[in-house]
Amino acid sequence: MKVGNPGATLSFPVSDRVVRERVSEEGLTQALASRGELPDAILSVRNLSLSYDGQHWALQDISLDIPRHRVTAFIGPSGCGKSTLLRCFNRLNDLIDGVQIRGMINLDGMNIYDPRLAVTSLRKRVGMVFQRSNPFPKSIYDNVAYGPRLSGSRNRRELDEIVERGLRAAALWDEVKDRLDDNALSLSGGQQQRLCIARALAVEPEVLLMDEPCSALDPIATAKIEALIHELKGRYTIVVVTHNMQQAARVSDYTAFLYLGRLVEYGATDKIFTNPDQKETEDYITGRFG
Amino acid sequence: MPQRAHTDPHFDEELRKLHEKLLEMGGLIENQIATALDALVQRDDSLARLTIEQDHAVNRLDVEIDDMCLRLLARYQPAARDLRLITTALKITTDMERIGDMAVNMCERALELNQEPPLKPFIDIPRMVDIALGMLRESLNAFVREDVELALKVCRDDDQIDALTHQVFRELLSYMMEDPHSITRGIRLMFVAKYIERIADHATNIGEMVVFMVKGKSIRHLDRIPPSV
Amino acid sequence: MQSRVWKSGDPFIWLAAGALGTALLMIGGLFWLIITRALGVFWPAELVLLELRTGERFLGHIGAVEASPDPENSKTLVRRIQVQVANRDLSSADFVWIDEDQIASRTRPTDAIVVERQEWGNLFGWLVAVTEDGEPIAQGSEQSWQVLQQMLPQVAAQRGRIRRLEQRQLGDINYRMEQTRLEMKRYELRGDDAGALQGVRERLTRLQAEYEQVYARLEAMKREAQRTVAVFQTASGQEKSVPLVQVVRAYWPNQMSTWQKVRLYCAKFWEFVSGEPRESNTEGGVFPAIFGTVLMVLIMSCAVVPFGVLAALYLREYARQGPAVRLVRIAVNNLAGVPSIVFGVFGLGFFIYSVGGSIDSWLFAERLPTPTFGTGGILWASLTLALLTVPVVIVATEEALAAVPREHREGSLALGATKYETIRNVVLPSALPGVFTGLILAMARGAGEVAPLMITGVVKLAPSLPLDHHWPYLHLDRKFMHLGFHIYDVGFQSPNVEAAKPMVYATTLLLVSIVVFLNLTAIFLRARIRKRLHAGAF
Repeated sequence: MKVGNPGATLSFPVSDRVVRERVSEEGLTQALASRGELPDAILSVRNLSLSYDGQHWALQDISLDIPRHRVTAFIGPSGCGKSTLLRCFNRLNDLIDGVQIRGMINLDGMNIYDPRLAVTSLRKRVGMVFQRSNPFPKSIYDNVAYGPRLSGSRNRRELDEIVERGLRAAALWDEVKDRLDDNALSLSGGQQQRLCIARALAVEPEVLLMDEPCSALDPIATAKIEALIHELKGRYTIVVVTHNMQQAARVSDYTAFLYLGRLVEYGATDKIFTNPDQKETEDYITGRFG
Repeated sequence: MPQRAHTDPHFDEELRKLHEKLLEMGGLIENQIATALDALVQRDDSLARLTIEQDHAVNRLDVEIDDMCLRLLARYQPAARDLRLITTALKITTDMERIGDMAVNMCERALELNQEPPLKPFIDIPRMVDIALGMLRESLNAFVREDVELALKVCRDDDQIDALTHQVFRELLSYMMEDPHSITRGIRLMFVAKYIERIADHATNIGEMVVFMVKGKSIRHLDRIPPSV
Repeated sequence: MQSRVWKSGDPFIWLAAGALGTALLMIGGLFWLIITRALGVFWPAELVLLELRTGERFLGHIGAVEASPDPENSKTLVRRIQVQVANRDLSSADFVWIDEDQIASRTRPTDAIVVERQEWGNLFGWLVAVTEDGEPIAQGSEQSWQVLQQMLPQVAAQRGRIRRLEQRQLGDINYRMEQTRLEMKRYELRGDDAGALQGVRERLTRLQAEYEQVYARLEAMKREAQRTVAVFQTASGQEKSVPLVQVVRAYWPNQMSTWQKVRLYCAKFWEFVSGEPRESNTEGGVFPAIFGTVLMVLIMSCAVVPFGVLAALYLREYARQGPAVRLVRIAVNNLAGVPSIVFGVFGLGFFIYSVGGSIDSWLFAERLPTPTFGTGGILWASLTLALLTVPVVIVATEEALAAVPREHREGSLALGATKYETIRNVVLPSALPGVFTGLILAMARGAGEVAPLMITGVVKLAPSLPLDHHWPYLHLDRKFMHLGFHIYDVGFQSPNVEAAKPMVYATTLLLVSIVVFLNLTAIFLRARIRKRLHAGAF
């Protein structure tokens, strides 16, 4: 693990070339991230506030950028609003009666809360994997083909291809290729979660949201999912909410710490886990909370 | 800076034990350096041997602290401040162990010097030991109190030791040039000065590590010590 | 000490177990009563000849024994036995009560015969002779029995032919005549096309002639069937001639082997299940009632499931949850508590008079003033029951919808599905077992309901089944028979209640069996769906 904070050394005369290189790229990113801004952001959140009842604000004035083709982790204690923030990205919070949302979220420069935008097309671009694996009580094949069928793919050969691609992308193909017609519920917990990832990938989203994807899995299944996240980040932008700080440290490039609905700190994972700027972040990640 | 307790009190307890062990080791090596100087100045063979003997305790503590750090890393997966504390502990125990070795080396030279008549009265070397011992003490205090200012002072004090080392070299050189019979003793005393300089270097390392531990910022390998961090 | 016993919870467990035990005991008792009484009905009991001190003779089945106070001396009790003597056409009553101390002797005459007849119920007595056109072809009990045994199958065939002629051919002609008459009326109503009207009129005349012809053939067959007659003597010495065509079955119960009795039992049971009722429903079979019950439950299910599921879907998925929806939900729950007769009255007023009346005036104007849908029928009865049971389906479906994991909905929505697609592809399939639960409860309630049916289409005796070979095959406007009503009718409305009692038990058992069967079918289907939904290692 890399230690030390390259950003801070900017103010000192630098004698070592190694240090200089370390500073240049990440230091800039770091400086931007401290204000919630990052270059090449696919999602940018500006002054987002959300309330379920109109009185208590579950999210307060959050601004941050999610960088493209990187893994961003949201951490924070229960009820801090990290899942709520995640569910803003595909507008799943819309389902709740009486929810109020202020501020703006841009997906590639397009406001996702624009009333002219069809929410279904947004959700096809922003896929989601849930805390409890939730395969539909259908066959493995039908689960993966669910999204493409909604988009109107009916051709069997085309669907076969999509299903195989999705399952391969989720590293599940070799385990299930001989029993695609079995009920998805006959798979193990870890396999079910990877099936859900395959199902989300079959729609070919740009962003993959993961809401505590491993919280119900054993360590081996968790490791497989984490390996998969590393695998996928070249092609997809991944946002993962997790309770497990070690997991956030392992899989993510950037980490945002939320507390009581506020974004306390956001920055490169290396920095957050070795030398966070905020006392609250430090207390949380060192296990001094509560 | 007052720290909140961990949610898991066992972790706090373990960290407290780690602190204690480091301080115990610090006390041991401080004592080692002081007795080494006494052995040298008072030409006391038995005291020198006793000091050499003491190094076993230091080495044992070094291994114990290493083990403890590894165990804490594996069991608690510490992050941020805790992670820096433990990695710092791992590194400064190496420095402290080296300081102990230096004291042993000083005693070995003292035993050799005691075989021959004294070359000259000790003036600068006790001063050097005094400063180095002060640096070590202050770096350990900085570690305990997480005092960055004190740690930075330790780093700056290293210059005094360097200057004194040069002075001792020059002086010994002149003795050796005057009288070739004094070369053996002169070189041995030069070694002793070098050892003390190294002790101060290790103390400086500890100071730098303390700055990193507290601030998360590395001040190593820089041209000059920053006035503050 | 006492409080410790209470705290341990043991008394509570006993209390709870006791409540369940009592409930089970009562249900078990009910079933025991029904099953024992019903299964004995078809067993050929022995005939006992009782000779009284007064010289009177009674032949019959011994029934209940009863102790009643002596009319002369109220201190002592007199034991009386009930004897089913049958021969309703000869003596006034089916049953007689005989004081036990009046009985001089009890014997079991081996050649005593039981004759089941098309009319007048059973005849108990002795076979004397068989005659053809008044000429005896067999004399004496034994010989006549042989002849009777030989002839009965032929007679049964003959009876079948007569019935077929009556129901099929004559019925068809009748139906065609009716259609033609309606056609004629339609032309008359329209008042044009005199030529076509003339053609129809001619067709009617031809049908009339055909009818006369078939009717004459039928009459001839009936006369032919009357020729062979069996002569019996009863215990009281009267002679009774019965045309063989009237004899459904005859047997000597006192000399039958067990195997023969079992065969007879099965035959009678089969007749009960598959046959048509006789003697104002107190004898024969209940097939039309079974058919009517099952068909009504099926139509009701077809109506109530889509209706209830859609209503529940709106209530749970689309309606904004608030006081209004809560109010609707309470109202729906309360609807389940409304007395069923109220639903019947509503069905009569709304379905039959309003909807049925309107349909009649639009589509079946030519039949008026005879109502088609404007009177009770299986459709209206089924719809009324659907209305009665729809709260059950709504509540069960709502529960099932609420139990569909939120993750499944969100999983579907997150893939870009619309709410409708999510409901159709994910929510409804998962809720299907719950819907089936609702259907099971609805069927159980609907199949046993009688009161609302009595005013919406059930009749004591329906002339024809609602399903036949005339287009459109399923006649939703027809009146129908129902087992529940059958029980009520036979048990309480028949002229001969005592004789009908076995029938009531048998019909009750049958109704319960049908309800159980329908429920088992639904439970089986539900189990299969559940298995599909919850297959897996977890």
